[in-house]
Amino acid sequence: MISRRALETATAVLTGSFGLAVIVSSLDNGIGWGSDGVDAGTFPFITGVIILAGSLYNLLRGLSGIGVAISRTDLRRIAGLFVPAAMFVGAIPFAGMYLASAGYIFGVLALPKHRSLPRALIIALATPLALYIVFERMFQVSLPHGGLAAALGY
Amino acid sequence: MENFQSLLHGFTIALSLQHLALMVVGVLLGILVGVLPGLGAPNGVSLLLPLTFGMQPVSAIILLSSMYWGALFGGSVTSILFNIPGEPSSVATTFDGYPMAREGKSTTALATAFGSAAFGALVGVILITFLASWVAQVALAFGPAEYFAVYFLAFASFVGMGGAAPMKTVVALAIGFAIAAIGIDTVSGSVRLTMGVDELVKGVSFVVAVMGLFGIGELLIAVEEDIHARAVSSRIDWREVFRAVARLPKHGTALLRSAAIGCWMGITPGGPTAASFMSYGIAKRFSRRGRYFGSGEVEGIIAPETADHAAGTSALLPMLSLGIPGSATAAVMMGGLMIWGLNPGPMLFIDQKDFVWGLIASMYVGNIVAVVLVLLTVPVFAALMRIPFVVIAPLIVIVCAVGAYSVSNSYLDVVLMLGFGVVGYLFKKLSYPLAPLVLAIVIGDKAEDAFRQSMLMSKGSLAIFFDNRLVTSLVVAGFALLLLPLALQVLRLLRGDADTSGEKVRII
Amino acid sequence: MKTTPAFLLPAAMLALAGAMPAQAAWQPQKPIEFVATAGPGGGTDNLARAVQNIITKYKLTDQPVVVVNKAGGSGAEGYVYGKASAGDPYKVIFGTSNAWQQPLVSKVAFNYTDLTPIAAMAQDEFLLWVKQDAPYKTAGDYLKAAASGDFKMGGAQSKDTDEVLTRMIEKAGHVKITYIPFKSGAEAAVQLAGGHIDSHVNNPSESAGQWRGGTQRPLCAFSPKRLPEGPKVTATEGWSDVPTCIEQGINIPQYEQPRTVWLPGKVTSEQAGYYVDLMKKVQATAEWKDYIEKSSQVDTFLTGEAFDAFIKQDLEHVRQVAAEQGWLVK
Repeated sequence: MISRRALETATAVLTGSFGLAVIVSSLDNGIGWGSDGVDAGTFPFITGVIILAGSLYNLLRGLSGIGVAISRTDLRRIAGLFVPAAMFVGAIPFAGMYLASAGYIFGVLALPKHRSLPRALIIALATPLALYIVFERMFQVSLPHGGLAAALGY
Repeated sequence: MENFQSLLHGFTIALSLQHLALMVVGVLLGILVGVLPGLGAPNGVSLLLPLTFGMQPVSAIILLSSMYWGALFGGSVTSILFNIPGEPSSVATTFDGYPMAREGKSTTALATAFGSAAFGALVGVILITFLASWVAQVALAFGPAEYFAVYFLAFASFVGMGGAAPMKTVVALAIGFAIAAIGIDTVSGSVRLTMGVDELVKGVSFVVAVMGLFGIGELLIAVEEDIHARAVSSRIDWREVFRAVARLPKHGTALLRSAAIGCWMGITPGGPTAASFMSYGIAKRFSRRGRYFGSGEVEGIIAPETADHAAGTSALLPMLSLGIPGSATAAVMMGGLMIWGLNPGPMLFIDQKDFVWGLIASMYVGNIVAVVLVLLTVPVFAALMRIPFVVIAPLIVIVCAVGAYSVSNSYLDVVLMLGFGVVGYLFKKLSYPLAPLVLAIVIGDKAEDAFRQSMLMSKGSLAIFFDNRLVTSLVVAGFALLLLPLALQVLRLLRGDADTSGEKVRII
Repeated sequence: MKTTPAFLLPAAMLALAGAMPAQAAWQPQKPIEFVATAGPGGGTDNLARAVQNIITKYKLTDQPVVVVNKAGGSGAEGYVYGKASAGDPYKVIFGTSNAWQQPLVSKVAFNYTDLTPIAAMAQDEFLLWVKQDAPYKTAGDYLKAAASGDFKMGGAQSKDTDEVLTRMIEKAGHVKITYIPFKSGAEAAVQLAGGHIDSHVNNPSESAGQWRGGTQRPLCAFSPKRLPEGPKVTATEGWSDVPTCIEQGINIPQYEQPRTVWLPGKVTSEQAGYYVDLMKKVQATAEWKDYIEKSSQVDTFLTGEAFDAFIKQDLEHVRQVAAEQGWLVK
């Protein structure tokens, strides 16, 4: 369970730290506005200041937030979607796009028993096949094959 | 009337059986790359380009431009069905198209989008046919100061209309600008805001941001709201396709206004993206049902789609008459023109009459072919909505990952995309508006470049923005649009009206 | 390094015996990726695609060749990608002189020494362009008018070839010119046609259309001798009618931009040798000659020590300009 107050605060801190990072790194580029034009860091610096100031304002406003933003069941459902998705993305460098997507689909369909085993298997195999035909064959866009494929010599 | 005769001659070239077949092939391929996020018209065009070397130049350009039409149409499909805009110019279509599809009216939404898109394209082609030389002159009047004024106008028409908390809007907008600034800066050549990640020197692609913010973010919202429990009825109804198209003339004002904005932004090099945002913003201001925008309004689909296609079509004109590509696809086509031995530029209209008028005639025919084909596919796409959420959700994640990766074959982009997904969820949940963020990512750096180029020219003086009538009127129009909502608010307060915006407004 | 799977050996041997001289021991075994450090339609992209077409047409390799664009950061994206692919002989990077110029002036995360040089395949010339109705007829007139100090020169990118040349003109002509960077030469050409800038230094192919269309004309070419005679561009004039800048009193005898080809670092000399041979074969075709003529470039082929020497010389020269302007990265 996450309260609205906590969520508002966390988001404001997130945007605020991005603003701070923008300010710091824009100083490297130099800020200034003279007869030789506007320096590279000037606008990023200004946007950084605006982000930081706005985030502070939102932070203070957010502290007065009341009620529950995400309930326990909500959170479970979100995690149920996001965690496998993150694992899929994490697996791409090793397993490659094709294996990772097949495993991902099979995992989310067969393990919670949303679909029967054979149907999950069919969808899990059809997806990377379709990807391969359209991307690799038709449009010659090479998707990552992963460390595993490289180790096998592909 | 000379143009009219040339056009008729062009039709005799374009209407051969071989050329019609090429159009069908081109359009179908275009729809495919348009629908698949991560692939776009440039992919398709550069794929087909080598095949065209043996063809007559006019056949080759017909094939490539048909593909361009198909991709423009296809780009709206995923925006409407899954809230994933495949092209920058179809972001604004998600604002009302997606809510409408969620209500189970995906057929209506798609047919409306395609119908108004075809209208926009038609207006764009008519403009090219009859005003080509005038239009070319207008485009030449645009220097850096005028460019900046056009971008400013686009921002002004859009900002301050989302109904979100002002400070949240400001933060979202500023974050967009900062993201746009990441990478190498055109004006100084220096590397900015990479924060120690070498790969970020290439910048953050719009596609990566949007796949996450809209695609993944919306999935997370949907799963939280337990959307799959709400069955979305999506009957396949052919008659609805025609009914939706037949209803379009009722929105004549919106169509004409959006087409005008689209053509204007296509010629002045604002481009289709700025055009669709601006058209949406202005439609919301001036439509009688403006306050319902964002919850599935028909005019909220008509406005961006018409303007997008009008701009996309008229953007081909600068390419032909001046030799500046108005878009990435136009750039690839221009490369093709040179390989076929044609030099884009003012002389093309004199030296290569058959080519130019064959192409222009093919724009009429090609768009008709495209809209017929794309309307035929509506029920197929609408049927996608019947796939259960548990199956479609991982497929969307995969499509977003593939899309983010294929922008520049970079794994970092996939990770960034997922991060943007979390941000998209948080922002949606807490009513931060996403539209200003996306608009700033797309045209923020262009606006900054134009501003700083102007400052180089004027040696740091802002007077350059009031230097001539054109730029002055653009800037004044921008300020007027910016201040209009404020003025209305003040007026309402003075009259003592109660705030009427009490209804649930969807934050966009 | 991975070894060739046993079952592929006979095929590789056949190919070896059939087409290759004995020293080319290495053959590609999987698809080759051409990385263009420019967007679709740019000069470098056109080159990569032209080479791809020639290779495919003459079946110069059995493996498919795909072109990917990595144009981000003025091409830095492509070079960084090349650096990250060290040891991978299936990535061929197509670039320009910015492979060694860019690291001098901006903090990009690569240097040309991270890559294996293959060849410089073509040279693009530079010309000084003015608006068609501009009052000056010669480069001398131009310099006189530029002495007012209000002249604006447009060009592609910042601290890149176009700006370096602008600073050289300033020095040679003792004038001060404001340089306005745009995204590409094509944009600069349109700005000139609209009268927003006074001149630019585009390559012939970038502005041929506008010259033909009568919106702008070249004053002089930054080349030791006049450009080769080709077909007429306008009704009366062709590239060989453009005087050299030395003739006209701007003492810049030579300024060219090579189109360069690289492999990632840490590849073997056999692998590099394979691509040098491949590019040589490409250059011998009629299609290549056609491409060179249509894009108004100069045919050249530098490889090995000659290429290294060229890089060193150019680098020294650019370093000098960059130091004078205070552009060098700390």
